[in-house]
Amino acid sequence: MRETDVAISGTNMFVELLPLLFFLTICASLMLGYPVAFTLMGISFLCSGIGVAFGTFDSAYLSLIPNRLYGVLTNQNLIAIPLFIFMGTMLEKSNIAEALLKNMSLVFRGLPGGLGISIVVVGTLLAASTGIVGATVVTMGILSLPTMLREGYKPSLAAGTICATGTLGQIIPPSICLVLLGEVMSNAYQQSQLNAGEFNGGFVSIGDLFAGALIPGLILVFIYALYLFCVGLLKPEFAPSIEVDEAHALKSTFFALIKGLFPPLFLMIVVLGSIVLGIATPTEAASVGAMGAVLLALLKQELTFEVLKNVNLETLRITSMVYLILIGAAIFSSVFRGFGGDIYIEELLVNLPGGVNSAMLVVMLLIFLLGFILDFIEITFMVIPVVGPVILSMGVDPIWFGVMIAINLQTSFLTPPFGFSLFYLRSVAPPELATIDIFKGVIPFVIFQLFLLATLALFPEIVTWLPRVLS
Amino acid sequence: MVSKIVYLARVSSTIDSFTQRLGKIASWFVSLLVLLVGLIVVLRYGFSFGSIALQESIIYVNAVIFIFGASYTLKTGGHVRVDVFYSRIGEKGKAFVNALGALLFLMPAMVLIIFTSEGYVAMSWQILERSPESSGLPFVYLLKTLILVMAVLLALQGVSELLKSWRVLTALRSVQQNADTGK
Repeated sequence: MRETDVAISGTNMFVELLPLLFFLTICASLMLGYPVAFTLMGISFLCSGIGVAFGTFDSAYLSLIPNRLYGVLTNQNLIAIPLFIFMGTMLEKSNIAEALLKNMSLVFRGLPGGLGISIVVVGTLLAASTGIVGATVVTMGILSLPTMLREGYKPSLAAGTICATGTLGQIIPPSICLVLLGEVMSNAYQQSQLNAGEFNGGFVSIGDLFAGALIPGLILVFIYALYLFCVGLLKPEFAPSIEVDEAHALKSTFFALIKGLFPPLFLMIVVLGSIVLGIATPTEAASVGAMGAVLLALLKQELTFEVLKNVNLETLRITSMVYLILIGAAIFSSVFRGFGGDIYIEELLVNLPGGVNSAMLVVMLLIFLLGFILDFIEITFMVIPVVGPVILSMGVDPIWFGVMIAINLQTSFLTPPFGFSLFYLRSVAPPELATIDIFKGVIPFVIFQLFLLATLALFPEIVTWLPRVLS
Repeated sequence: MVSKIVYLARVSSTIDSFTQRLGKIASWFVSLLVLLVGLIVVLRYGFSFGSIALQESIIYVNAVIFIFGASYTLKTGGHVRVDVFYSRIGEKGKAFVNALGALLFLMPAMVLIIFTSEGYVAMSWQILERSPESSGLPFVYLLKTLILVMAVLLALQGVSELLKSWRVLTALRSVQQNADTGK
């Protein structure tokens, strides 16, 4: 296939720039606001058609598409997606998530910044269960923003906490993002070994990525909580503690822990544990999570026919949305390859002065910028298959690479003025909360993220240690 | 003239209610999927029993969810957009984007998916392709057909979306209301 590729044989500058042109056309068209999945498909077909007409695109690449689509259809790992979405939606629609938030705020009530810390902890659990940034930020915004403002939290601090916590869904396993990233990364890893012509027996599983993301994710949660604790301690007027009657607090705390906290927590530990320890496949673990969520809803007597119907429909919608993007991205990458894009990117990255480090930096910067306009799923399926094999064949550890991408994107989603999570919060925040307050509030959190990224770049063992110990 | 508009409005509301019904039926496959995978887990870890046919059946159930759910998601506005500008351009601007998108992106893409996949699916039907596993399900040709089904359903819903956007653009709201009462 490669020998016939027009892009490399042609010396024409224009032909060489076609992949870039194609990519920019996609980005520009996306700004129109038509659904991403269909824009990807439409522009890809349109550009390939123009390419075929001008003899710069080999139509053989189009005939590969049905097989790619069938691959998406039959991928066993991806079946974890509807199951995880079902679990998250069930926890949300049966009010278990809400109860979790209420009970948790009782637990941390006395502590400086206690309410904020409890929101970080619950957000982490919610994020881990839904794994979809938009859903988490919106849920948290509706549930906890009014409470925080009522308790006298500084609006920017409240907004920043919710946005930052909501984006944790990217990296706290078991998140859908990591499932997808694991899938793509293992393909990219195999591709890179194939290109190098040697199999070193290396293999990345979704469980490896979960294990790798766990410690950095927890570090981040800890930094967030520490920040809120410090603000509560040093500037109590920004994050006032709630005064409570001592005896009453103890009693309610105890019951809160048993009743509200333990079951969902247990559920997540079981799901996560079975994947990371390699006992169950992500799909199997996700089904345990989904059934567990049903059981919890049953025990809470919140499982009505209406709730089940809504959970089914909501799961169907999110699943369809995700799959259509996968299909769009599959078509996009076939066409991108047809224009010689993979070779273009490889030459670009390999020839950078500074080797692996600058290639890595360029890729991270690209992903960060794309994070302003695209969601995690699109980026994972559009960018990683193209840049992944190149970066990995330069000797970068696939698990570390995956975790860096996840945290990088999370930072991107938080960064004003384009970050996704800011818009999601804006859509549910009361009008009194100024947009500028949201922007100001997230800045400390963005700094923490960058700090973590730099730390992981200097000490990759923080990521790679746990997967190595477990395997 | 007016009767033609009423006719087109009826076409789009017929498509809409068809899509709606299909989506609601398909949504129960979500519960079915949870049960099936749950059954597999119980059988495997409880009774050390594994069945390839059962394992493969979840692929079919999962595919039904998004193949038949995609057009419902389109109808209910569930496909993500880059809404940096979209969220600020008002009713008519949105209708314009949606009409343009349906005409330039959605429908041509679906036609091309049908065009490129048709032979691939036909080949599978010719040999009534079965699973490569001997004890697997013998319905691979049906699974492959789902690619075409998805494209047809999305194109159909695309027609309805186009008609609705066009109605907003021409601002014949009274007709729209008349048609929508038939929902």
